[in-house]
Amino acid sequence: MALTDSQRAALDGIADVLIPAGGGMPSASEAGVSGQYLDEVLTSLPDLRDALETTLASVDGLSPEEAIAVLRQDPAGWGVLTAVVPGAYFVNPAIREAIGYPGLERRPIDETAPPDYNQDGLLDSVIARGPVYRPTPTD
Amino acid sequence: MEHDVLIIGAGPTGAIAAKRLAEDGFRVLVLEQGDWPDYSKATVHREDFPLTAGRDWGWDPNLRQAPGDYPINDTESDITALMWNGVGGGTVVYAAQWQRNMPSDFRVKTLDGVADDWPMTYEDLEPYYVRVERDFGISGLANDTAFPPGEGPPLPPVPLGPAGRRVAKAHNELGWHWWPAPLAIATRKYGGLNPCQQVGTCLQACAYGAKGTADLTHWPRCLELGVELRTRATVRELIVRPDGLVGGALYVDAEGNEHEARADVVILAANGVGTPRLLLNSGGGDGLANSSGMVGKRLMMHPFGTVVGVFDEDFRAWQGPWGQFIHSLEFYETDESRGFVRGAKWGLQPTGGPFSMTSAYPWGAENEIWGPGFQDAVRGRLGHSTMWGIIAEDLPEESNRVVLDPVNTDEFGVPGAKIEYRLSENSKRLVEFHQARAQESLIAAGAYETVVAPFIRATGWHLLGTTVMGDDPATTVVDATGRCHDVPNLYVFDGSVWPTSAGMNPTATIAALALRFTEQLIASRREQKVAA
Repeated sequence: MALTDSQRAALDGIADVLIPAGGGMPSASEAGVSGQYLDEVLTSLPDLRDALETTLASVDGLSPEEAIAVLRQDPAGWGVLTAVVPGAYFVNPAIREAIGYPGLERRPIDETAPPDYNQDGLLDSVIARGPVYRPTPTD
Repeated sequence: MEHDVLIIGAGPTGAIAAKRLAEDGFRVLVLEQGDWPDYSKATVHREDFPLTAGRDWGWDPNLRQAPGDYPINDTESDITALMWNGVGGGTVVYAAQWQRNMPSDFRVKTLDGVADDWPMTYEDLEPYYVRVERDFGISGLANDTAFPPGEGPPLPPVPLGPAGRRVAKAHNELGWHWWPAPLAIATRKYGGLNPCQQVGTCLQACAYGAKGTADLTHWPRCLELGVELRTRATVRELIVRPDGLVGGALYVDAEGNEHEARADVVILAANGVGTPRLLLNSGGGDGLANSSGMVGKRLMMHPFGTVVGVFDEDFRAWQGPWGQFIHSLEFYETDESRGFVRGAKWGLQPTGGPFSMTSAYPWGAENEIWGPGFQDAVRGRLGHSTMWGIIAEDLPEESNRVVLDPVNTDEFGVPGAKIEYRLSENSKRLVEFHQARAQESLIAAGAYETVVAPFIRATGWHLLGTTVMGDDPATTVVDATGRCHDVPNLYVFDGSVWPTSAGMNPTATIAALALRFTEQLIASRREQKVAA
């Protein structure tokens, strides 16, 4: 079952305290953290829905600042909140673009490139120093 | 007898033993309580991967509760035991940091006056290191100055990348050791392995088949050779015959049906928690092969530290081989003036994507970034940070142990494991010293901010020491060939046998030992006692 409008509104308020607008980027609520991208997160992790509802219920009626103060003392609730809010925020492709993150890219190793471990003689001083281990005692 | 050898556990140890035995014509049965890894869940291309990876590739069996997982009561432990129960074992989710032990690791008593020597030397194990490095497709560079010279791994090392090069230069200025990282990560097409794509998700299974994991490097050949592998086969206990020798194992299949698997010889390869659990659940009384009383004792799990450096330079270090770019063994050897004995290995790693920039680990509560300035703080860390992972040696203590938990049973009613583990003063001082030096390393490299990660419990990847190996049956469980002193057709080949833990990621030595043990077993086949 989808979250109710009041649950989403409560999450918006709390999420905007954690992630307000700044740095030329939108706040959590403006980025859809309690809307489309929350739904994406909960589709991926359906078990999180009950935990989120429980967390929101535990701070029902409190102001966002009061709710955060309470949840900081509740490791489980704080864990849910700090998974859902940044999780949904960074699932938004516009946010990833604004932050300069293209996602996980394949970066194949260039097999023809000279190895970078010894460019400019990087390893020379390590080798010149000699062994740094204690050998097996001979007795 | 239908099978010559029964192996319990299809991780790296079991796979190495099964392959080598089958090559010499042994009829081998392997029972594995978990299943094959499902790489369709290694969805690194999906934007939600950072969120789902913990569920699909988690390390804590208490949280994961997948087929093959059993409960581990860790309420009296400073560290949580982590593992992956299935074909390939811990290699499926390991960081692939392929570290040989150093010569001093085998002579701890002689050199440092603590703990015990191993009943073998580095030189005894060296030929097996070379062979398992070929088998697992290891990349790296020979003649690391922290080890005796000799043959190195078959593949060239992963690129250092901008972060690795920057820290390497700093170490040169400090006069500190570093070396291109040894890794079970293929840098070229190699056998069944594909070249690494540097996506940085090694810890959540490799989506591209580039990581040297036993399900890829060993199991296909095992099956070609006729090894019989039964997955979802949970061993309840070993069968003890009237003459005191083992005759096989009782196991339960996925449907809950009990079976008896018979073999002349049994090899345990179930890790440093699973193996003592099985011995303690077998034979009645104090358990099987336990006349010394040492089964389960001397658990070692490697206290772990992390130090992050944040730089002006954009390394694009949210990914890379993870893995490690370089390692340092500058402070590995004992210097008693530091106030402790033994040492630790450092591996330089990426720090992950934007979601990781908000995490309590490694950043710590005092560095949390919620509230005004959030986006700029994420930008400051993302791609601009790298971290040293510190593997600290813990010394063996009998009070650190695995015992049975008769209350928390697995789904078939078999008692679970309980671990009791406390950090020693030596371990605490060791970790603090290394964290301070690692900060100096990153500052020398130009970090404008360093963060010492808070201590967390969920770092028990390395499970060692719980069926200690040695020559004296009164004080040890297995001999130098992995054979139980009390039960001469029962062997332990996994990390349980380690007399001391070293300060290294252990899979390289677990693998080399397993190959050596297996060939010793093959060589002594004519003298092998079997149950009547």
